[in-house]
Amino acid sequence: MAQTPVSQNISAPKSGETAWLWLVKIATGPLLVIFLLIHFIVNHFAAENGLLTYADVIAYYKNPLIPAMEILFLATVVTHSLIGLRGIILDLKPSRSALKAIDWIFVILGITAVSYGTWLALTIASTGV
Amino acid sequence: MENKRNQPSPSRFWMWFNPIGRETGGWAFILNRITALGLTFYLFLHLMVLWLLTQGPAGYNGFVELMHNPFVIVGELLVVAAGILHGLNGIRIILTTFGVSVTQQKSLFYTLMFIAVVAILIFGVRMFTA
Repeated sequence: MAQTPVSQNISAPKSGETAWLWLVKIATGPLLVIFLLIHFIVNHFAAENGLLTYADVIAYYKNPLIPAMEILFLATVVTHSLIGLRGIILDLKPSRSALKAIDWIFVILGITAVSYGTWLALTIASTGV
Repeated sequence: MENKRNQPSPSRFWMWFNPIGRETGGWAFILNRITALGLTFYLFLHLMVLWLLTQGPAGYNGFVELMHNPFVIVGELLVVAAGILHGLNGIRIILTTFGVSVTQQKSLFYTLMFIAVVAILIFGVRMFTA
């Protein structure tokens, strides 16, 4: 049985995925590990008794670092997940026109999700206790 | 070499998830793809649910209360597990992409997955005993 060449065992841009998209997906990965750790530690351990009530969340978002961190996390995770989902769809070998439509849907979905999340974080941060 | 009949194609995409006749790399691929889909689904669900925070204390607190049941906690543990598995598997992909431990990636995969199992168990115990 032939050994699979090493070159086939490493991550590389898929056909239909530009090197840039692939690089962004690869680069956001370790960033997300860090963001998720922070997100988890501050939301569940650093916050006193966790964030179990509305009042907890509102009080917690008074620290401007929190909404800033959450917005950065959101933009990174939405980007990573949509490029990843596009990669999965590429394996279904969509036609050029279908891929173009998917690209537009994902761009709009991404912008919508990040805008909405930013608005949400800022709304919570500016809500009086 | 992996089983040819097992190779996914656009018309037989469910073969992506067929673990039979695969080598370690194939299982890692399946694990990464399933967790990716689950985490993406959860991400958008999470964003939508948090809209409740704009509806004042009653809506949000009522929802949190509703989520305090064992079925939801199992679901949450699945999300945590998916995050840990996808993150640690991703670290292997990054390392090998940049030429680190390419020839040892099988043992790297098993080591990372062992860490994942331990971490998931710790979360599980914490979540069900808290």
